[in-house]
Amino acid sequence: MPVEANSMIAILPEIVILTVACAVLVIDLYLPDERKDINHIVTIIGLATALGAISLIGSDKVTYAFDNSFIRDPLSDLLKGVILIVTLFTFVYSRDYMQQRQLWIGEYHVLILFAVLGMLIMVSANNFLTLYLGLELLALCLYALVAFDRDSKAGAEAAMKYFVLGALGSGMLLYGISMLYGASGGFFGFAQIADIAAAQGTDNQLLVFGLVFVLIGVAFKFGAVPFHMWLPDVYQGAPMPIVLFLSSAPKVAAFAMAVRILIEGLGGLQTDWGEILIILSVLSFVLGNVVAIAQTNIKRMLAYSTISHVGFIFLGLLAGTAAGYTAAMFYTVVYALMAAGAFGILVLLSTQGIEAEQLDDLKGLSERNGWLAAMMALIMFSMAGVPPAVGFMAKLLVLEAAVSVGLVWLAVLAVIFSIVGAFYYLRVIKLMYFDKPQLEQPLVIDGTATIAISINGLAILFLGLFPASLLQVCGVAFG
Amino acid sequence: MGFEKLLFYIFAAVTLFAASMVITRRNPVLSALYLVMAFVSSAALWLLLEAEFLGIVLILVYVGAVMVLFLFVVMMLNIDVATLRARFIHYLPLGLIVAGIMVFDMFLVLGPADFGLDQFAKPQSQPADYNNTAALGQILYTTYLYQFEIAAVILLVAIVAAIRLTLRHRPETKYQDPSNQVRVRKGSDRVRLITMPAEPVPPSLTATLGATHTEMTE
Amino acid sequence: MENIYLTIVLAPLLGAIVAGFWGAKIGRAGAHWVTSSGVGIACALSLWVLSRFIWHDLPAFNDTIYIWMVADGIQFEIGFLVDRLTVLMMATVTFVSLMVHIYTIGYMADDEHNWPHGSLAGKNSYQRFFSYISLFTFSMLMLVMSNNFIQLFFGWEAVGLVSYLLIGFWATRESAVFANLKAFLVNRVGDFGFILGIAAIGMYFNSMDYAEVFAKAPEFANTEIAVFGGVSLMTLICILLFIGAMGKSAQVPLHVWLPDSMEGPTPISALIHAATMVTAGIFMVARMSPLYELSTTALSFVLLIGAITAFFMGLIGLVQNDIKRVVAYSTLSQLGYMVAALGASAYAAGIFHLMTHAFFKALLFLAAGSVIIAMHHDQDIRNMGGLRRYMPITWITALVGSLALIAFPGFSGFFSKDAIIEAVGHADVFGAGFAWLLLTIGAFITALYSFRMYFLVFHGKPRMDEHTQHHLHETPWVVTVPLLALAIPSIFIGWYAVEPLLVNNWFGNAIVVAHEHDTLHHLANHWHGQVAFIQHGMHGLPFWLAMSGLILATIIWWGWHKVNPAIDGQLQQKAGPLARVLDNKYGFDDFNQRVFAAGGRRIGQVFWNTGDQKIIDDTIVNGSARAVSWTAEWMRWLQSGLLYHYAIAMIVGLVGLLTVYVAF
Repeated sequence: MPVEANSMIAILPEIVILTVACAVLVIDLYLPDERKDINHIVTIIGLATALGAISLIGSDKVTYAFDNSFIRDPLSDLLKGVILIVTLFTFVYSRDYMQQRQLWIGEYHVLILFAVLGMLIMVSANNFLTLYLGLELLALCLYALVAFDRDSKAGAEAAMKYFVLGALGSGMLLYGISMLYGASGGFFGFAQIADIAAAQGTDNQLLVFGLVFVLIGVAFKFGAVPFHMWLPDVYQGAPMPIVLFLSSAPKVAAFAMAVRILIEGLGGLQTDWGEILIILSVLSFVLGNVVAIAQTNIKRMLAYSTISHVGFIFLGLLAGTAAGYTAAMFYTVVYALMAAGAFGILVLLSTQGIEAEQLDDLKGLSERNGWLAAMMALIMFSMAGVPPAVGFMAKLLVLEAAVSVGLVWLAVLAVIFSIVGAFYYLRVIKLMYFDKPQLEQPLVIDGTATIAISINGLAILFLGLFPASLLQVCGVAFG
Repeated sequence: MGFEKLLFYIFAAVTLFAASMVITRRNPVLSALYLVMAFVSSAALWLLLEAEFLGIVLILVYVGAVMVLFLFVVMMLNIDVATLRARFIHYLPLGLIVAGIMVFDMFLVLGPADFGLDQFAKPQSQPADYNNTAALGQILYTTYLYQFEIAAVILLVAIVAAIRLTLRHRPETKYQDPSNQVRVRKGSDRVRLITMPAEPVPPSLTATLGATHTEMTE
Repeated sequence: MENIYLTIVLAPLLGAIVAGFWGAKIGRAGAHWVTSSGVGIACALSLWVLSRFIWHDLPAFNDTIYIWMVADGIQFEIGFLVDRLTVLMMATVTFVSLMVHIYTIGYMADDEHNWPHGSLAGKNSYQRFFSYISLFTFSMLMLVMSNNFIQLFFGWEAVGLVSYLLIGFWATRESAVFANLKAFLVNRVGDFGFILGIAAIGMYFNSMDYAEVFAKAPEFANTEIAVFGGVSLMTLICILLFIGAMGKSAQVPLHVWLPDSMEGPTPISALIHAATMVTAGIFMVARMSPLYELSTTALSFVLLIGAITAFFMGLIGLVQNDIKRVVAYSTLSQLGYMVAALGASAYAAGIFHLMTHAFFKALLFLAAGSVIIAMHHDQDIRNMGGLRRYMPITWITALVGSLALIAFPGFSGFFSKDAIIEAVGHADVFGAGFAWLLLTIGAFITALYSFRMYFLVFHGKPRMDEHTQHHLHETPWVVTVPLLALAIPSIFIGWYAVEPLLVNNWFGNAIVVAHEHDTLHHLANHWHGQVAFIQHGMHGLPFWLAMSGLILATIIWWGWHKVNPAIDGQLQQKAGPLARVLDNKYGFDDFNQRVFAAGGRRIGQVFWNTGDQKIIDDTIVNGSARAVSWTAEWMRWLQSGLLYHYAIAMIVGLVGLLTVYVAF
């Protein structure tokens, strides 16, 4: 099949990111240490250009490219956009932190850009092979990023754990893919597998067998219980900006992966994977919320909070209705924004030679920097699901989806545990506003980061008040 | 036909044997060598499937390059086998139970009911002049171009990541940089001439330094 | 038009936000300029819209601005319904609010004296006050412009919140904190009924939109539901909604918070607790007229509550000595008149009285405030007297307000109050005769207490101490200008508005009156112009009662008082038990304190001991805390940090799922 120009246009955002990554790789060699900011500028421009490329080629129509291994649809446009925006936030927040720790080097940008490329590929994958390659590209970058601070033993340990468990998870995924390949008689395109799944349904044991393995690959990427064990350790060990990146954008990619595999590929087995997701969802929000309470390290606390949010995302997916998928997507996008904001603030707090790792480091933040504390409070309210922050709307939508398919008990359980979870979010607010700070001096952060965190925080408020636009875009993705 | 079947069983048995030896050996060098054995016998299985290119690549890349490197590393590192061993025994019962259930599950699905010989038609043999490598290349650069490029990017990332994580500039290490040596210019780089005002040496020092120094100062 | 309506609502909100969050930065002048101009814009636009409605016959606007979410078919939305009823409210609210904003500049000028030295809450209190009153204007506009019940409820609660904040504005005073708590709690009772009513509407109509609910309402006219052994659905909904109105509009027995709310600064007493917020209940019932018309039981209930409030609260006004409390009780009494009008299905008359009352009562309050400023925050009328010589503008405007209040012929209050009494006289729901009697005698009481206060404050010998008397002078222009601006409509608005509002059915479709309930058509049928109406009124019993009240007040507190300055106290002593009953406000407060507050505490104690401490604290809270820490410990053990533990967890998970889905 000859390569057509159309195909190249369809992958324009990916091409932009790849080009920028390679450019930074080369430029970095010629930059003296004090001018590493040029990497930063090139990267930011590159990400913005990719965003522009997405809006340029975006439309309601679906485009296929490269012999159907690539798909461009409204879903991919939105998710790619979110990934790029969140990555932009990551770079802006992490600048001071990385500079002060002599980590402000080209590889940081290069690896994140390649990770973004991997995510874009995942989002637009139309068969298992492409999806798997994108996943590996992403995972490889993340392993390296977790160990990015070479002098940190915790970082090396975390990376090692992440690597081994990631290899295990990806091995299971690959095994599952090979089963589906066999079950479908030699196909790995989502469309072909969907046909077979629709025709044979759960009668084909092999499909179910493959499904379980593949689903575990998805669950691992999300960090759903019991495939979550890597998450707290990696969050704790990795440098803060890496956690910021790791906790936000890849979840969006994981959501795309779930949609492509479960809905577009194995939609015919919805009853089966729906049930598995119920188990994973319950385990996730129960364990995530309960264990988070016992944490004193805020990174670990947010890791468990991530796990509980994954439970909620699954709650939308398992409903198996268009409204449920829309709700899950809304939740994912919102979660990515909240995670970026929360870790972004921790990154900003860590810039004066201290690591804001313990809950106690947040004490009295309102006295040291009122605006930052206000944004953090907003994000915590949102995570706890307090209106008018958007987290409320996200939770409401997934709960509504679950109720609409008759899973009232599940929704009730989710509500109970989100109330349990509200405790540790509100505790953060209490620490910030009612406790005496451990460090008295006011916290000054640079202007760009302040603007970014304000946009990030206020977006959460704005989306909570006016959710319709985002909801509509999410709805379009699921027809 | 019968002979091929016999070969298949032999190589399959060798692969399984080697694989189980890999995970049960005390000595990591032995494990690595058994892994080589497993690779070689799998390569033979590829050949039986008429996938010559894959068979050769498996031997060339894995056995020839990866495993040699691996052995090299294993020999350099001193791994405490005894403690690993103890934990292995400790967790063996749990491992066996889990593995047992797993095998049972897999048997249910992958057993003869689904994967028996009668379930699949015998694949057509290729003619003798069929070029496996060319066919692979053909498909790789057309249908799977996109994936091929992604794989290339993955390798690039692997290089970047490996360099980032391992390459260190220790300030205390002394090393020569030939490119700098070559670039040295004759005049200013080799000898630096400086002018400084003459200073009278105190008498006590002159005495200890001896006659030559005294001459220079004058 | 949508943009204009949005501007009307958002301009005060913007002012409130700026003054509230950046009060310290923009300073005092910045705060009063930004809020006053926000409200000024809203006022100008509202008046413009009103003029379009009057002279250009602008059609009603009913549209959704923004849908927040849809849950189970019910839309949560922001939408505006602007018809003739709304626009009249908008104009009244924004005009009074603007006057109060200007007045506040003078009233709060030395607010720092009201706070203990160095109090943190006293910092920037001036800016905060402006932020609050602007926020109130926004909330009130949201309430009146709403086209659905959700937004109505939002506005309802928002004005309640601001009222709470403002009653307790001087938060370092114990009495203020007590008063705002009381207002809050009493309003909870009303709001509980209100939200039950809204919920009932949601349940049966499956919609929150006014238009849809009103359209569907006749279908449910005869529906009975099995609550309390079967009641009519419409009666239940209407009474529940009216309970909300009773809280907000301070009707017996939920009136107890309003007199205490006088602890707040006087400008908000004028704006919130006289002119606008307390009339929200009247507005709401008028807005819901299509529902109320379907239930005679509810109408009769409304009528009786209104008449009782009008009469008995007026009586209490006779024995009050705090200038603001006298005005507060007169407000209660006048609210009773409005509610009675609603009960008689004379919604137009109720709204008409609402409007005239907003002007003259705001005027009276601001005049009282002006007096209070001059008296250095002494509010006891026994210490005043003879102020007319020192503060001529305040004196004249207060006289205008009092005459309007007692329905002196020609003044605005005359038209509206006379129309109400006449409409109630024509009503034939249960209790209408009794209500008419109460309202008619009420006219006498009103005149009596109004002029008691007027004479004690402005006439007679000055009774204040030397120091205060020495400093007495007219208040600054920011105070007197609003007084004059409010005095004008207090005199004239009745004359101009009576014909369109009551005779020519200006409200049109905004208010629905069933034919058999139409008590105002008698008035319309015999309409021969304002002069004839005044002449007709002067032959009526209410007029003569009001005049005799006025004359009696003049005799006692002007004539007799000159001879015997202690007459006021002696009269109260002579009245003995009656005065004591009035002084105790019929014991409502004591009853509430003893039964509800103390009883509530006692029940709370029981629940606290058994329920809270034993069951919830010990079992549930500590139990769940134990469960949490136990789980967390267990998880910590699982989350051992050892890689192979993690791997085994994954594999066990895999095998578990596989076994469940493959083997079974």
